[in-house]
Amino acid sequence: MAARSAEPILELVNIHKAFGDRQILKGVSFQVFAGEMLGLIGPSGCGKSTILKIICGLLEPDQGEVIKRSDDIGLVFQGSALLNSLTVRENLAIALQARKLSRKESDRIISERLKMVGLEGFEEFSPTKLSGGQQKRTSFARAIVNDPKIILYDEPTTGLDPVMSTVIEDYMIDLERSLQAASIVVTHQHSTWTRTADRVLLMHAGKIVWEGTPEEGVTSEDPYMKQFAHATREGPMLVGAVED
Amino acid sequence: MLTGQIDWKETIRQMYMIGVLSFVVVSITALFTGFAMSLQISRELVQFGADTSIGGVVSLALVREIGPITAGVIVAGRVGSSIAAELTTMMITEQIDALKVMRVDPVKFLVVPRYTAALIMIPTLSVYAMFTGLVAGIVIAQAAANVPPDTFLDSVKQTILDRDFSVHFLKSLINATVIIMFSCAIGLHTRGGAEDVGIATTRTIVWTMISIFILNFVVTSVTYAPR
Repeated sequence: MAARSAEPILELVNIHKAFGDRQILKGVSFQVFAGEMLGLIGPSGCGKSTILKIICGLLEPDQGEVIKRSDDIGLVFQGSALLNSLTVRENLAIALQARKLSRKESDRIISERLKMVGLEGFEEFSPTKLSGGQQKRTSFARAIVNDPKIILYDEPTTGLDPVMSTVIEDYMIDLERSLQAASIVVTHQHSTWTRTADRVLLMHAGKIVWEGTPEEGVTSEDPYMKQFAHATREGPMLVGAVED
Repeated sequence: MLTGQIDWKETIRQMYMIGVLSFVVVSITALFTGFAMSLQISRELVQFGADTSIGGVVSLALVREIGPITAGVIVAGRVGSSIAAELTTMMITEQIDALKVMRVDPVKFLVVPRYTAALIMIPTLSVYAMFTGLVAGIVIAQAAANVPPDTFLDSVKQTILDRDFSVHFLKSLINATVIIMFSCAIGLHTRGGAEDVGIATTRTIVWTMISIFILNFVVTSVTYAPR
């Protein structure tokens, strides 16, 4: 694990969120530090992606507070969310627009970021011509193009084959080392959270029910963690959000 | 738009999508509309011995009503549905969310180039439809009623006023606004799945066409109502 900062760069305090009658988040609180990869794991529908959207301002919490010590946030979407009408270079250039850089400087930064994710030479490709893994790496490059202090990964390896998942996880580890950002990876893939996360929070029914390292997670006797880590049918978890 | 911050590269791309790619379908529609109108009008006016007025009557209909409506409806069906489908798909695949996270205003990035392009190309298509219909009218008037082109055009010049062209232009601008605003508003406010793309597309076409016909009538009644 890279050396983490003393002060948290991101803090969620008592976050509540409902969609209609469904209470998705019920008082979630945690901190994330620079240089740390926090794994946010849990069954489908427990509110993991909702937390990411609240952090980057796409959703407002009904209650609670998000304290960010930086507004430089990069988000890797589950489906990559690349703009198909633009080339790879143009997709990254959009993220640089606010900085009003020259074309030369912008292209230099784009080339560097694509090189970091093993996609140099792909600048003029359309996203529709890329494989799933290449699209995911392009979205990585777009998320880090402005050297963000907070990087959010929403199910980065979902839908990828095991080999490509390992490649993506390797890139995530390399990026954490080189950028020293505070990172959160939302996932339910076992290999992703065990390989990439420094610390893991397990969510269930809108609450955090367990916290520890990945090593502690796979050996934990906590009934929620044990069921999730070993993917067993027996246990206290139900799929989706649980009503009060 | 008002501050001059327009992405001209994207606007030109949209001008091609909205205007150039609609050229053929507008041509065919305007041509056959002109043929049919001229045939009907020629048939009736010849009976009354008013064949020298065929050009004027045909051009009145084309300039004041048929030209802007034809172009508007064709573009609404072709372009409005396409924009609604595109933006709905972008919503569903989180591309709009990606823009927001990158602090890019989706309206400035997506709507402004399309609206600017529509304001340029739809009046152009509308004028083109008008002239194509007139050419069709000349052809039919000669074939069906032995009205020479000179006679047809003299009648046009005597009938059409500058005000008619101004109203034509105003209607085409209104059509452009209706098409882009409905397609973008519906597209950017639809979430869901594949079925919702279809619903958004259908809703766009229905609302746009209804609005074009209603607003066209409003402008006509304001500018041409008997006093």
